[in-house]
Amino acid sequence: MASTRRRKGDSRMIRYIVLGSWALFCLAPVLWFLSIGFRPRTEIITPQPIYFPTFSLDAWHMIWSDWPMAAYLRNSVLAILGSVVIDLVLAIPAAYSLARFRYRGREDIGFYILSTRMMAPAIVAIPIFFLFRNMGLLDTIWALMLIYAAINLSVVTWIIRSYMLDIPKELEDAARTDGASDLRILWEIIIPACLPGIITAGVIAAIFAINEFLFTLLIASTKNAYTMSVALANFTGGSDGVIYNAIALVAFLAFVPVFVVVVAIQKHLSRGLTMGAVKG
Amino acid sequence: MARIELSGIQKRWGAVWGVRDVNIDIADEELIVFLGPSGCGKTTTMRMIAGLEDPTEGEVRMDGEVMNDIDARDRDVAMVFQGYALYPNMSIYENIRFPLRMRDVPKSEHDRLVREAADMVELGDFLDRKPGALSGGQRQRAALARAIVRQPQVFLMDEPLSNLDAKLRQAMRVQIKHLQRQLKITTVYVTHDQIEAMTLADRIVIMEGGLIQQIGTPDEIYSDPANTFVAGFIGAPPMNLIEGRIQSGTFVSDGITLPGTGITDRDSVTLGVRPEDCSVADSGHLAGQVYGVEPTGDQTFLTLRIGARLIEVKADRDYRSDLDVTETVAFDPGRLYFFDTGSGQRIR
Repeated sequence: MASTRRRKGDSRMIRYIVLGSWALFCLAPVLWFLSIGFRPRTEIITPQPIYFPTFSLDAWHMIWSDWPMAAYLRNSVLAILGSVVIDLVLAIPAAYSLARFRYRGREDIGFYILSTRMMAPAIVAIPIFFLFRNMGLLDTIWALMLIYAAINLSVVTWIIRSYMLDIPKELEDAARTDGASDLRILWEIIIPACLPGIITAGVIAAIFAINEFLFTLLIASTKNAYTMSVALANFTGGSDGVIYNAIALVAFLAFVPVFVVVVAIQKHLSRGLTMGAVKG
Repeated sequence: MARIELSGIQKRWGAVWGVRDVNIDIADEELIVFLGPSGCGKTTTMRMIAGLEDPTEGEVRMDGEVMNDIDARDRDVAMVFQGYALYPNMSIYENIRFPLRMRDVPKSEHDRLVREAADMVELGDFLDRKPGALSGGQRQRAALARAIVRQPQVFLMDEPLSNLDAKLRQAMRVQIKHLQRQLKITTVYVTHDQIEAMTLADRIVIMEGGLIQQIGTPDEIYSDPANTFVAGFIGAPPMNLIEGRIQSGTFVSDGITLPGTGITDRDSVTLGVRPEDCSVADSGHLAGQVYGVEPTGDQTFLTLRIGARLIEVKADRDYRSDLDVTETVAFDPGRLYFFDTGSGQRIR
């Protein structure tokens, strides 16, 4: 008995070591960023290794005092939230239709939606610039919301559709015989049942949006619409050269909100809400 | 309470036939069971009554009114599904209340109706739970409560017990029959389980290949089967079907000679005899070697081998035997069935 117990303890220890190393490996870039961000500029660019780094808030003060970082942060958050809302409002009914109703050209429409993702963004960059200029939306958050939503709509639709396909058809039949209309079924049965999928799709859309660079650079020209991702570019040019510690801090600031959101909703990111609906 | 008529119902998906020709008149307050193997069209027929499928041809009428163009949600039917189909995000209370909300039943009535329905299926203590926190039997009772809460014109039950274990199934069967009698609601019940069909039904509709094979009371189906399909489908173990021919009124097959059948001579005839109408006797109609003995407690089934054929016989409950012992079997001459081998139809 004693030997079995010891072996179990050993295997648990190994598990912790493996998982701990993996966690360290995944978190290393974040820690590295923090270490760069809170060191003086001179120390970052020396080729010799530094074993006892100096702590410095220079870069931190600089990004808030020399740059309108609060405006960038606000623009990012508003544009991303807006685009996710637009995506979900459009994608949920579209996904339901693609998942459940039979009509001519359904597969083609599905493929068409997905194909918007296959195009290199640069191809449509110029037309989109003129489109927004004519609409008077250049350098506004509204334009960012629309373009982020357009970029992510296909992915969001397809993720939600795949979750909806997993919902047993019996649930809808039951709701229909209980007297529910198609819209009531979507609202009261389907959306709650595929909530994990909707949340997953929303998070993925938000991550894509926060990383978007090309269209943002095209649309934004002042702090009215500059986002974190474009702000980063401000630290690579100009008379000061590449300001690595400021870049590291801005990148970290852009990372934190996504990290917080993902940790907060991680239990919804796994499937399992349909458990108990049908025998499983 | 409603009378349902199906006339000339067909269902086809492209080249695939679901239902070929179904004509049934279901009386008010009747409990009718559609019985057949999977793919026979029984569930499709039920779904057409519910309005979840449109018939390709034919008419569905309720109380004389043609329902073909009426949407499922406007037909006053309630359905219980094989997989229960409880809404996973709602509590049991909200599940049972859902049809009341959808059908604009006054809000003040909801609580009373939900609790009455839950009490009827003894689920009153579980109203706060989510479906995932209930056992299979409780979930099925919750599905039943959701169906009975608004007192529909028609109940449709699609294999509601097939996910439950045997003991629970028996208890639920009694409960469903009791509820149906109490509420006096016309009920269509689909199953592939002949015991469920026999015990529940006022009438059984036996289906195969999208066609009705026979409609009748359980007694009629059991003791007066219309063809070899019905004969072989009903009864456990099933009826013995022995192919042979009639010569001068005598049925002749390998190892069997059965005089006095009263049937004119023909070359291909199938004799049907139920295991329970056979007995081990000192002298009888056929002799074979013991192939297997299956005691079930209250009865014992004996399988005999005659040439290449196996015959099932119900023996005394304490009958025991070694293998390969020769036994003689006598048939009950009043309970023999003859069928035309080619068409499978009964010869009367």
